[in-house]
Amino acid sequence: MRVMGVGGGAREHAIAWKLSLSDHKPEIFWIAENRNPGIHKICKDNQGELRTGRTTDPKTIVRSARGWGVDMVVVGPEEPGFHGIPDALEKEGIPCIGASQDLSIIERSKADLRRLQWENNLPGKLLFRTFKNAREASDYIRKNIDAQPWLQNIVIKPARQSGGKGVKLIEDRLAYLHDDKASFKEAYFESLQSSMAAYSDIDDKILVEEKAWGPEYSLQCITDGKTVLGTPLVQDNKSAHEFDSGPETGGMGSISGPSMTLPFITSDEYDNSLKIVEGIVEAIQKKTGESYHGMVGGQMMLTENEGPTIIEMYSRLGDPEALNVLAMLKTDIIDIFQAIVERRLSKLKLEFTNEDAVVVKVVAPNGYPEKKDKAKGHPVQVFETNIKRNGCYLFWGSADLQENGEVVTGGSRLSALMAMDHTLPPASARIEKTMSSIQLTDGWGLYHRSDIGSEQLLAKRHNSADRVRRLYKYKEEHGDLGRRLEWVPKVGKVDPSQLLLKEMRGPEKA
Amino acid sequence: MPGLVGFYTFGEGRENWDASHFIHYGLSALQGRGQESISLAAIGPEGTLHTLGGKGDVEEFFSNKTSVPKGFLGIGQTSSYTNDHLVHVKAPYELVLALDGKTDLHENRGEASKLFARQLSQLLHSEKEPLKATSMLINKIGGGYSFVALTHKQELISGRNPLGVKPLETGSVGFDIAAVASETCALDVMGVDHTGPVETGEVIMFTPEDIRGNAPAGEAGNFCSYEYVYLARLDSKVNTLPVARVRNSIGRELAKAHSAKADVVVGVPETALPIANGYSQESGLPQEFGFVRTGENVRAALEPAQKERLVGVQLKLNPVKSAVEGKDVVLVDDSVVRGNTLRNTVLNLKRNGAHQVHVRIGSPALVSPCPYGVEIPPRDELISSYLNEKELASHVGADSVSFMTVEELQHAIGLPRQNLCMRCFENGGVTR
Ligand SMILES: Nc1ncnc2c1ncn2[C@@H]1O[C@H](COP(=O)(O)OP(=O)(O)O)[C@@H](O)[C@H]1O
Ligand SMILES: [Mg+2]
Repeated sequence: MRVMGVGGGAREHAIAWKLSLSDHKPEIFWIAENRNPGIHKICKDNQGELRTGRTTDPKTIVRSARGWGVDMVVVGPEEPGFHGIPDALEKEGIPCIGASQDLSIIERSKADLRRLQWENNLPGKLLFRTFKNAREASDYIRKNIDAQPWLQNIVIKPARQSGGKGVKLIEDRLAYLHDDKASFKEAYFESLQSSMAAYSDIDDKILVEEKAWGPEYSLQCITDGKTVLGTPLVQDNKSAHEFDSGPETGGMGSISGPSMTLPFITSDEYDNSLKIVEGIVEAIQKKTGESYHGMVGGQMMLTENEGPTIIEMYSRLGDPEALNVLAMLKTDIIDIFQAIVERRLSKLKLEFTNEDAVVVKVVAPNGYPEKKDKAKGHPVQVFETNIKRNGCYLFWGSADLQENGEVVTGGSRLSALMAMDHTLPPASARIEKTMSSIQLTDGWGLYHRSDIGSEQLLAKRHNSADRVRRLYKYKEEHGDLGRRLEWVPKVGKVDPSQLLLKEMRGPEKA
Repeated sequence: MPGLVGFYTFGEGRENWDASHFIHYGLSALQGRGQESISLAAIGPEGTLHTLGGKGDVEEFFSNKTSVPKGFLGIGQTSSYTNDHLVHVKAPYELVLALDGKTDLHENRGEASKLFARQLSQLLHSEKEPLKATSMLINKIGGGYSFVALTHKQELISGRNPLGVKPLETGSVGFDIAAVASETCALDVMGVDHTGPVETGEVIMFTPEDIRGNAPAGEAGNFCSYEYVYLARLDSKVNTLPVARVRNSIGRELAKAHSAKADVVVGVPETALPIANGYSQESGLPQEFGFVRTGENVRAALEPAQKERLVGVQLKLNPVKSAVEGKDVVLVDDSVVRGNTLRNTVLNLKRNGAHQVHVRIGSPALVSPCPYGVEIPPRDELISSYLNEKELASHVGADSVSFMTVEELQHAIGLPRQNLCMRCFENGGVTR
């Protein structure tokens, strides 16, 4: 059997690793934009090959799949899905694990996702508004901030995934800093408007949503369109630096286990989260008329208004969250892929270890994420025996294997170290001990987050979960879960959800 | 003693933040650490360090909109010393420095800070690894200090020497803002979430590329116990311990070991109120509001001129007659410096009809000046260097006076003895 993978990050390295462990002994082929040293080796060891090419170009992908005569393709990252790679492959009769272009809208457009949730009255949503331009956004907020107090504490996002534009979290709780916060919001609207100008096909350029707080976690699932199976919860850490400070990254490391949930998330919350993801899969299939077969995930947060809430959807596995679930996975990965292709997931026995917790820590060159050009092109040295001796696993990310056998940094997250243990802190400690096994030989620095998986950070997560849980449980007991009611002087009772639905329906016809 | 604030921003659009607004409120929260002088430095996109120093009033300083330095990164300092400002070193590596405490580079505190700033500038200029170099510097230069520095290269360097006697805390909010401050209350007031203390011997360096920290000394340090008794604000955490909780247990400890037959407990505002509260909870005696403060909230003990205080205290602390009239009173205060505040307060209570007044002090007798820059006057001005409890009682007109012991205070704080600096309560004690 021949399998082809698409994508060159740590997540794809981990998928390749699991493929190489399959009893089906597949031949492994790959296409990635970078020559990922880990994937390269696995392909070579399994009668296959890693080829570099544009992973968002359907022609390149289809040509290679044909040329190699593969039986099945698995797509790692989101971009190929956004560009219709799965659609192109299936049109050629090549089964593909990955969300089609239309289905992947749940990730590509955060605005469309919110609309889908509100149109279908699904649980786990947040208040939002979309705007065509900066002026519209600024005016709306200025006009409505008193009558809709949620507009004070907001998150600003590009309405559609757009060239590295990040999100801004802006809390405007302190009256004396209001002007500062308001002008920062407006400046970011301007900046989003200019970078989104290229997308003439969509009206909405700017998304503003309610800022929530609480512990975040990812629920990654597998679906064949009929059945949605959940995997163990994983928590990623988005801030670049210790104790959640610094700029937003793609994820600096993640924890999971030792069971299906995380130590600070209840099993009820797991079940409700799964229902939320199921609801979205069902709704988007209904809307597009297509069947979803591949991975789907909810990047979630416990919030005071809703309990489990969707922050954004994944139309793929998370990176680095994939590493956690794949490490815990006991079922043969080829069996899973075949069950998806043949639409018989309901019969599959999906098993995960319930003995081990998993910690993953990302290693990034200094300069990431704000100055990627400076972070790029540094030669890497790895002491593999050391990594093995400490019982850790190395997954390569933004790294490039050169002709001369040297590996250089690609400017983004270089690699991830993974360790398993009965609980999280010892796994974390083992990775810490192993960190010096990855170095840059030209003296440029590497960094990682030592706090991930530590007792201290876990205590912080517990604390935040307990506080927010008390709030949403109170609402639940009073029958108010998902409801936001305000009383505004001179205006009276305001239900921002009703206002949102009214605005979504558009101006009433006379 | 100064209060320090550093403000750092990340990410796209960072140049839109105005650091001075945040530091303004951060420094307001730190006014308890001193309000004789204030200064601010900021750096904007064009890369120039702007600085300004002024007299202590935060509001007045920041009301002058045109002269306040603007930029998206900045540091600020409010100080209990007159003319105590940021040190600006222009070469070889331009930086401004705010330092709480004292390095041992010179007898004079100000000079010692200047010399430290110059060495830091030299190091940043000559060493390839600024973090390592700074870390070595704080291990080499003795004394007890915390500092925040801002460089022309848009780096913010904060650190706490291995002794760890001076506090320093870090925080962040969203993906955009990080901050450091002497106390967590300043972070709260700036809308920044507390992430933890700068550990003893730790240097944390914020650069446009990353946040880097050295490995901290790994030792618990020698924390200033006077922070818990008096210096820090009630809503702060110092070395991860909530000040409010410590002051409450000081009060309880005091009640256990130094009981008094009385009808009510009255605290001297503001610092001693939570201590009085703990005393009341432990002893079962009701706590009354014994005083109302008139005028601005100036801390009596820190005022420079003694004469002024003699008048000032009577004006500022007006007793609530009905709370004490005809009653035996436990009067709780945090500490006794020169003794005249206490004398006035006791006298005032009795003039207003209190019967017996038993003074209970939530710290040991202050007998030595602070080697690390807390304004405890020289020994010859410390009344407890001369008078024992009994003598002090008759000097101030109280029916009894009693101080906590060093052991009781340590127990109330709950840290091991070797991790607490209690130098001001030691050395000699009563001399006569
Ligand atoms: N509504 C929200 N409330 C609070 N935090 C949010 C919200 N939306 C996003 N965030 C924070 O920002 C991070 C990134 O946002 P996300 O929507 O996942 O965008 P992306 O991952 O595409 O940059 C999240 O992981 C979360 O920490
Ligand atoms: Mg995300």
